[in-house]
Amino acid sequence: MELLIKIGFVLLGLFIILNWGLIMAGIIRKIIARVSMRRGIKIYQPYINLIKNYSIRSQLSHGVMFYLGPVFRLSGGVGIFLFMPLIYGSEIWNNFSFTGDLILIAYFMFFGMLGMALGAGEGGHPYSAIGISRGLAQFTAIEVPFTLALLSLAIQYKTLSISEIVAMQQGGIMHWTLFTNPVATIAAMLSFLGAMGHSPFNVVMAPQENPIGPPTEYHGTFLGVLQTNRAILHVIEAVLYMNLFFGGASSWLELLVKSFFVYFWSVFVGMVFPRFRVDQSIPWMLKIPMVLGILSIVLLIF
Amino acid sequence: MVNPVYIIAVLLSVSFLLGLFRKPGSDFARLAALITLAFPAIVSVSWLLQFLGEPTSPFIIYTAGSVPPFSINLKMGIEEAFLTSAVNILGFFGFLYLYRTFKESGVSAVVLFLVLVMGLNVVIMTRDIFNLFVFLEITSIALIGLIFLKKDINAVSAGFKYLIAVSVISTILLLGIGFIYYFAGTLNIDDFVSKNSGAVKGMSTAVFLVIIAVLLELKPFPANGWGLDVYQSAHPGISAMISAGMATASLFVLYKILPFGAVYWMQIIAAVGVITFVGSNMLGIAQKNANRLLGYSSIGQIGLMVGIIGFSPMLGKHLWMVFFGLFISHFLAKAGLFWLSGMIGKENIKSWSVLRKQPLLLIAFGVFAFALIGFPPFPSFFGKWQLVMDLAAHGQFGWIVAILLGSMLEGVYLFRWLGYAIKLDVEADQKLDLGIEKLIPVGVFALMLFGASHFAIENVPGGLTLNLIPVYFILLLFVLDFLPAKIKNSIAILGMAYYAWLLYPSLQDDTLRLVFAGIFLVGGVLTLFAGYSVKGKRAGFYPFAIMMYAGLIGLVEAKNLLQFFFAWELMTLGSYVLIIRGKKSLVHAYNYMLFSLGGAYLIFLGMALSVAGQHGLSLSLLNTTHFPGWAYTLLAIGFLTKTAALGLHIWLPGAHAEAESDVSPMVSGILLKGGAFGLIVLFLAMGAEKAGGHPLLYALGWLGAITAVGGNLMAVFQEDAKRLLAYSSVGNLGYILFAFAFMTNVGWLTGLTYSINHFLFKTLLFLAIGGVVMRVKTHNMYEMGGLIKRMPWSFIAVLIGIITLAGIPPLSGYAGKWLFYNAVITKGWYFQGAMVFFSGTIAFLYCFKLIYSIFLGQEKDKFRKVKEVPVWYILPQFILIIGIMVFSARPDLVLKPIGALLSQAGYFPTDPLTWENVTASTNLGYWSGYKIMLVIGVMFVTLLTWLLVMSRKAQKVKQFNIVYSGERPFTPETTHFSHNMFAPYYKALGFLTIPVVTSFWEGVNSTAHAFADSFRKIYSGNGQTYIAHILAYIIIVYLIIF
Amino acid sequence: MKYFNIEYISMATGLFLFLVGLWGIISQKNIIKIIISFSVLDTSIHLILVSIGYIRNKTAPIIDGVVSKTDAATKIVDPLPQALVLTAIVIGVGVTALMLTYALRMYSENKTLEINKYKSLKW
Repeated sequence: MELLIKIGFVLLGLFIILNWGLIMAGIIRKIIARVSMRRGIKIYQPYINLIKNYSIRSQLSHGVMFYLGPVFRLSGGVGIFLFMPLIYGSEIWNNFSFTGDLILIAYFMFFGMLGMALGAGEGGHPYSAIGISRGLAQFTAIEVPFTLALLSLAIQYKTLSISEIVAMQQGGIMHWTLFTNPVATIAAMLSFLGAMGHSPFNVVMAPQENPIGPPTEYHGTFLGVLQTNRAILHVIEAVLYMNLFFGGASSWLELLVKSFFVYFWSVFVGMVFPRFRVDQSIPWMLKIPMVLGILSIVLLIF
Repeated sequence: MVNPVYIIAVLLSVSFLLGLFRKPGSDFARLAALITLAFPAIVSVSWLLQFLGEPTSPFIIYTAGSVPPFSINLKMGIEEAFLTSAVNILGFFGFLYLYRTFKESGVSAVVLFLVLVMGLNVVIMTRDIFNLFVFLEITSIALIGLIFLKKDINAVSAGFKYLIAVSVISTILLLGIGFIYYFAGTLNIDDFVSKNSGAVKGMSTAVFLVIIAVLLELKPFPANGWGLDVYQSAHPGISAMISAGMATASLFVLYKILPFGAVYWMQIIAAVGVITFVGSNMLGIAQKNANRLLGYSSIGQIGLMVGIIGFSPMLGKHLWMVFFGLFISHFLAKAGLFWLSGMIGKENIKSWSVLRKQPLLLIAFGVFAFALIGFPPFPSFFGKWQLVMDLAAHGQFGWIVAILLGSMLEGVYLFRWLGYAIKLDVEADQKLDLGIEKLIPVGVFALMLFGASHFAIENVPGGLTLNLIPVYFILLLFVLDFLPAKIKNSIAILGMAYYAWLLYPSLQDDTLRLVFAGIFLVGGVLTLFAGYSVKGKRAGFYPFAIMMYAGLIGLVEAKNLLQFFFAWELMTLGSYVLIIRGKKSLVHAYNYMLFSLGGAYLIFLGMALSVAGQHGLSLSLLNTTHFPGWAYTLLAIGFLTKTAALGLHIWLPGAHAEAESDVSPMVSGILLKGGAFGLIVLFLAMGAEKAGGHPLLYALGWLGAITAVGGNLMAVFQEDAKRLLAYSSVGNLGYILFAFAFMTNVGWLTGLTYSINHFLFKTLLFLAIGGVVMRVKTHNMYEMGGLIKRMPWSFIAVLIGIITLAGIPPLSGYAGKWLFYNAVITKGWYFQGAMVFFSGTIAFLYCFKLIYSIFLGQEKDKFRKVKEVPVWYILPQFILIIGIMVFSARPDLVLKPIGALLSQAGYFPTDPLTWENVTASTNLGYWSGYKIMLVIGVMFVTLLTWLLVMSRKAQKVKQFNIVYSGERPFTPETTHFSHNMFAPYYKALGFLTIPVVTSFWEGVNSTAHAFADSFRKIYSGNGQTYIAHILAYIIIVYLIIF
Repeated sequence: MKYFNIEYISMATGLFLFLVGLWGIISQKNIIKIIISFSVLDTSIHLILVSIGYIRNKTAPIIDGVVSKTDAATKIVDPLPQALVLTAIVIGVGVTALMLTYALRMYSENKTLEINKYKSLKW
């Protein structure tokens, strides 16, 4: 019975996050359009896209793995959500975070990526594979400053439990990691730019040109699943950064606001900077962000 | 007992009598000579048996009716009995070998041969130095006469050079003998010693002349060109007599006259011997002519035995055991090799591939080669072992290094040669000279090596502690090699399973060892399953596969250093042969062997350093060594050659990639853990937690991290599927090294988890990929593609494998990652840790490339009909998958007892990890494998169901039905994005994969060969130069001594 | 004048011939000359051996009318080196004969006695 209640709340949380993800996507796209002197889409356009995709009748499958790809992808997104504590101090909104800590989330991100890569791979479209190879390659570099920042946090807080990291940031804005460990925060936020896949790190999907990237062959329900996942994933990744660096959230409102701004950071940078090629983005990540990451650890050790 | 003097009498009289049988046809003469030669063999062997049975005092034979020193006397003690047995057996079989040759040459050669054997007998038995001189001359004359057996001008000119050199040397010997008589008034060796005549003034020069002459007879480096020429050009049957027979007698002469000299003479003799050993083997590496190479090797080996005689004060009561071990190996192996050379009849060592036409001869060649190098179970292994141990006990580390260097150089050419014989194409017109009279000697000598091993094992200290059950099992498999592969496979599996059952009770409580025993034995059985898919006999596979596993399990069982090293070498030997079975494995197996050999010698040296100044052989001596810095570093580097740490890794990719489909998982998933276990033994010896701050460990930690990045990065850029997996192994062993170097409780748990995981997934992946490669007959991934439809089971296996490899939850790879973070943070190795993490993300790249390029993407036309891999490949894979699943869900089953052991056995008392049911937690974080699996499983199924409902109308489409800019692609080759997949990544980070290490080792190799090639030019071929060498040698040694 | 007596002179001559022989072996290019040099070398050793056994003012170790069995020990020189020399001469003859056989064979094959021409085996 307890478990059922738990599952109920988890589903409710998932529903909120999903909707927030969709709305946020709409808002962001509106902002982008306005910045580039366009009218832009309606804010509820992502809902329309989602409904349309789920209800398209013609559907093609390239094989079992192609079919499973989106399932893996969505499992990845939902899984991170499940392992993420949402609201500080709330037993209910901690989801299943008792099964594992920060490391679990860091590694579970790969679950969706890998499954998606394989599913797209079976689609047989070379553009999918190109996108995946670029994405994975870039990802290895993006993870470096993030890992260093995580280690820095672990040294600072002497724990890998997200809930405890959040707990230790309570008691005023000056207790946030942003202020107690600014170097690590900067390193992580630079890494975040890459993780979100906006310009300058969006060569993986290359959204402005011919379709490229993992979803090339996906359509209809499959694409719907992928869009669902993207909405969830963007919010939940922002929540992760919020938990780690910006004091977490003690209420849903705080969560929504903070996650918006964390996410908006990547959009903001993307609006200003042009796109990197993969062989440019990797060295970039391994320069300033990595050095900052190292510095954040050095500062804590010595 | 027959009086040994009859040996001389019979041989001499038959020689004379044979002169009468010139006319009636030489057949009778040959037969008579052969039968005659059996007589001394029987006599001396019976003496040997008597001495072995009950130690009695030596039998002295007096001549001319008076006692020494007034007459010549002969002695038959156990030493003489042994050496005359050797010489006479060699005489018998050497004659048999030459039986047909003697038909062409007539009776005089037969007579010379009999005289030769007789002379050798007298040289060994006599106690009178002038008599010694006379019979040395007689032997030499007989021998040089026999060189005429081969009529070509090279043999003749070599014989002449040899004759001149020997004559000059014997002149010097005679001069020395004359002066000895002048000063001491006696020619009798025992008389001389008992009167302490060496103390007489002026005697030292006389003794010098005698000893230097005997040394020169033994062809010391570099004054030995005359010997080399004869080895090269004489009939191989005669070269065998020189290398085995002449050397035996001369060595014993040296031993007999040793008491003449002062104590410091010993060091000179040792130096002469060891310099010869190293120098001759050094020059040998540039040699391509088989007989001349055997000459170099002979001279080197004899040099080593000279060295042993020089070391005799340090060896004490082990002298004969050590000498026996090395002598008998050289004696039997070198004679056998020369005989083989005679059957091949071509000069270049590459021609020896013709031996493959007669597999038994190839086995004989292998036996001889391994015996020469000193691999177990051959006697030379034990001889070398005890030699090094005794030298270490006296602190003679410089000599040990030199001896091991010489052995290494010997390995360089012997294994190149063996590799050629095993792998090179057989020249079409080449024939083997297969007379029964030639096969018997080779076969008998090969078998006698095993008999000699038995003696060596019984006599080496600690030899009786060796567990020989696996060795006998291996021998049984050799005997059963004629059976079909399936039956042998079953025998091997049953044998291993039975052994596992036997072993389990003794390891039950030692979880640490149990884990490795499990990897070795369970892994062994699983990988052998794949062998059921092989048709035919699969000759020569099973003995070596079992040998490798026997070695591995021997490591786990080892309680003392000898057992450990024995097992280590056994494992190396077995795995070498397994690896070289691959089609293109020649150079890779060679590299593997050289690195293994080098590593083994470093381990050996490290062990010697550990034992120095302590008693016994127990493994725990490593803990209390007097030279911790050197010993631990050497041991570590030695083990790292097996785990292929960066810098020592260049052998691995080729060796693992080119091996047979079911060998790759053995050598990659399982064999590498042997090195890891070695590291564990070492680290435990270093004293557990207190050694945590040791600089060596710190260095190894960094090395592990660099290896992880380097290995994984190189894997990314491979196009060859098996090579990719091989490089991945390099990287993964880097993780393991890194984790063990922590020397903390969690660190070791991480290392063990990595080890178990790597065993599970790498065996799985290599089995799966090996099966695929077997079906599609190419290693290149870009040539495959879309195989998921043909090989769904393999696809699932690979998928599970890469998820585990990548450490993605919920599978067990994640357990390693989680522990790893805890270990890194508690230890404080953040930057190394970050590097290892980085390498983990790099692993995604190759994981994706592997599974995508092979199973996904576009299916190629030529593979539309390939079948799923054989069920015998699938079966072990799915057992491994079950293993992964169990380990993922219930890691506590394994990790909990290990953690308890690590803390309770006192290795790592602080155990920060606590278990609550299946949830592990440290003060940093927590993780619950079972629950994670549950959550993810439920979620996955839910989402899948949902998608199934939503897209239930999805329609399957054909291959090229893709969105392609309005066009429809139709060639799978151009649509399959695989070749050079990570080009941008290479542009960004490829500079890290520039093969500097390979260039370095190639540089070492070419420098050594260039050096050897230019130095051997001193053997100009001019007989007078050789004489000048001899004189210069005498003068230099004289100047050094006086 | 101490050194001007028979045993020293023969010893010195022996040693001188020893060096001559060695020098001949390494300097002469003709095989026959090398063999002759070896004979010189061999002979020098015989000379040295004999002079080792010589005891001044004693006679040859032959038991006949001059030397009877009973006083042999006081009258004769040391017989052993002489026996050795006899043996050594025999061996020397054997070796020289073998050398000449080789020389013959070499000449009949290559029509030259220059030792420098027999260098096909090397390194």
